[in-house]
Amino acid sequence: MINQGSQGLILDFLNVLEYWDHILAGFLSTMWLYIWALVLGFILGLFLALLRQYGGRILSRISSAYIEVIRGTPLLVQLFLIYFAPYSINALLKAENIPTIPIGGWNFYVILRLWDKNVVFIFLNHQVLIGILVLGLNSAAYQAEYFRGSLMSVGSGQLLAAQSLGFSKIGGIRHIVLPQALRRVIPAWSNEAVYLPKYTVVVFYIGVVELFAQAHYIVTETFLSLPTYLIIAVVFLITITIISKGLDVLYSRKRIPGL
Amino acid sequence: MNKPVLRVLDVWKSYGELEVLKGISFDVEEREVKVIFGPSGSGKSTLLRCINLLDPPDKGLIYLRGENLTVPGVDLNMMRTRIGMVFQQFNLFSHLKAIDNVSIALQRVKGFTKEEARKKAYDALERVKMSNWADHYPAQLSGGQQQRVGIARALAMEPDVVLFDEPTSALDPELIGEVLQVMLDIAKSGTTMIVVTHEMGFARAVASEMIFIDDGVISERGTPDHFFKSPESERVKNFLHKLDILYGGYEKLLKE
Repeated sequence: MINQGSQGLILDFLNVLEYWDHILAGFLSTMWLYIWALVLGFILGLFLALLRQYGGRILSRISSAYIEVIRGTPLLVQLFLIYFAPYSINALLKAENIPTIPIGGWNFYVILRLWDKNVVFIFLNHQVLIGILVLGLNSAAYQAEYFRGSLMSVGSGQLLAAQSLGFSKIGGIRHIVLPQALRRVIPAWSNEAVYLPKYTVVVFYIGVVELFAQAHYIVTETFLSLPTYLIIAVVFLITITIISKGLDVLYSRKRIPGL
Repeated sequence: MNKPVLRVLDVWKSYGELEVLKGISFDVEEREVKVIFGPSGSGKSTLLRCINLLDPPDKGLIYLRGENLTVPGVDLNMMRTRIGMVFQQFNLFSHLKAIDNVSIALQRVKGFTKEEARKKAYDALERVKMSNWADHYPAQLSGGQQQRVGIARALAMEPDVVLFDEPTSALDPELIGEVLQVMLDIAKSGTTMIVVTHEMGFARAVASEMIFIDDGVISERGTPDHFFKSPESERVKNFLHKLDILYGGYEKLLKE
């Protein structure tokens, strides 16, 4: 960087932006992982929270144990455990001369032709599947705790009143408690909704070609690490700002009047 | 003689070491208004929750129109549609408008169509003079209005008996009147009621029998006339005297 100054820096940025097809492919992949992980985490997390809150002694302990194990171990460790487990099992099977499980080697992808470039978006293969699964299972534990907090905040009087009208416990939870809890949870839950896109970068380590992997690729091609990672950071920043504002709007639209 | 609407037979309830109810028995006949009163902590609210088995008694029997509720295999959810309950803290469903608070169980539990349920809910709100507020959410209503919606919610199910758990004790004094007026109206229209309250004016006006509960047992029972003219035990005399002072008889306090 001898000759350049600020003009050179701008050229570096433009140079990196030449790879917009890679940035776009990475962004699509990151969002794809994020949405499925969030949905999986939502469904499983809500289920875990209901079990922990209303499941009675045994089920609530199973749910608590799951939540504590997930929250107590690093995401990357969980990812590697689940990613490598089939290989370890295969090694054992092979030693016993039992046919092994086929792993990987399949890809579902679309190629989007935009201007003069091809944007390759792999939406499902072995790595993506494991990535979504691990991120979703992990997010479920955190989401469960947000849901449990909001279930508790609804107050026992609501379920009592529902039961006094003849609702079963499950009916009362479904029609009276949950509609309130899901409204109340939005501000706290938005934490998880904005953390998760950033956590998706860990799947880079098992070979999912998402935004961070694409950044890595661009850096190895151009050696322009500062502009590349700055652009990646800005892409995340904009995405997360949109998610966060969107949830604010959802919360104010769904607010219970007078409360 | 007709069968009593509700028969409570030797009900016992304890929480750990603490014995709250120690053998309570009484019958409630059709169109009767039973007023239950007594010192706080004497088990009145627990008794009501034992009656609809939200808090099942340890021992004792509850009959609703001759059907034993305290045997296994009874569809308690179905039974509870026939026992209304009005709560001290109202417990309105805060995410639902007044009309939906009243109609939701008609629709989801009793299986009426949405239109039928709304019609019945509107009629019930009319009875408690809240139909003009049908589209308001609980947090937009005063405590007295919320409690009237709570009463409408219980009445709309057309229960055999309605339990009132200190319905006015969470209200500001100037809001108590409107709720008591509604309760008087529905009592006079023949609703069978069990009311836990310290509103002695209400008891005097409509109670068919008053039951004084102290320390988990019925220590005295009788007509309002009996209690206000010649109560037997010192305990009851004392208690009524204190209530009297609380509700404005402060001259007596000055004399002491």
